[in-house]
Amino acid sequence: MTIFLKAGGQLRAKLNPDVDYYTRKVEIDGGKTIAEILDAISLNPAFVALIHVDGKLKDLSYTPSDGQTIILQPPVSGG
Amino acid sequence: MSLSESEIERYQRQLLVDGWDQEKLKRARVLIVGTGGLGGVSATYLAAAGVGHLRLCDRDTVERSNLNRQILFAADDIGRPKAALAAKKISRHNPEIQVEAIADALTESTARDLASGCDLIIDGLDNHSDRLILNKTACARHLPFVYGAVDEWMGQVSFFHPPQTACLACLLPRDISNRGPIPVYGAMPGVIGSLQATLALRYLLTGENPMTNTLLIFRSDTMNFESVSFEKRPECVVCGTS
Repeated sequence: MTIFLKAGGQLRAKLNPDVDYYTRKVEIDGGKTIAEILDAISLNPAFVALIHVDGKLKDLSYTPSDGQTIILQPPVSGG
Repeated sequence: MSLSESEIERYQRQLLVDGWDQEKLKRARVLIVGTGGLGGVSATYLAAAGVGHLRLCDRDTVERSNLNRQILFAADDIGRPKAALAAKKISRHNPEIQVEAIADALTESTARDLASGCDLIIDGLDNHSDRLILNKTACARHLPFVYGAVDEWMGQVSFFHPPQTACLACLLPRDISNRGPIPVYGAMPGVIGSLQATLALRYLLTGENPMTNTLLIFRSDTMNFESVSFEKRPECVVCGTS
């Protein structure tokens, strides 16, 4: 199945986007969790502060479905 | 607590706002921890709106590298203490309110004292570990906590008030602070600090929390606001019930 990972900030470059400036397309077997998907693309989950899908917060155990866009948010901690 | 003629004149435009209660704001006491990019903006707007008592806490002195975003300070303030400077500048803007300056470092112990007698806490900090301390204090004292943070082209804001809502540790339980300087330009904390002031005023005036368990994210690279909903975590070590 195909999913789309999207990241901004300092996480964007680590994602190696290939669809547009922010988005990477990933072909992966169904039933994988986000943790397994990040592992498959060698993206360290420690760089990810929040994960959200369709406006709802998710965690690394979430299993995306075909065609979904997963937003990976870097730490936002300044002021 | 009635308004003087001078106050009625000063606030005449906002007195026209539906639901505005200036006397209620005059009675309010707000703690703002951090007077830099975020806190300097929220403090300025709360003072301008006539929040009766502001307690500003910041242990730092002004550095040249602060001046791209910390609009309360100027080049001739370099080396001087931020809290006292911020209080002086805000008092000049609105001498009708009381502004207190405290230069303490934030610890669990000082946070308890800082929050004493306050109705609401605003996060003007620049790191997540201190935010978790402030969140813990807000939870322990049942005070609303207006959270804000920025990084590069992104900023976010939320309003926590357990037990009615989740707390910051439900959303971001571990220290996510970046190592090294965080990329930031002045207008971003300007936007987020203004949103924090707006949330605080809305709560102080109406008692309502307009964004329960919602993180509002502003991305200035795409000019999008995005709302992300999240849940209270029963196992949260700060506000959880299990």
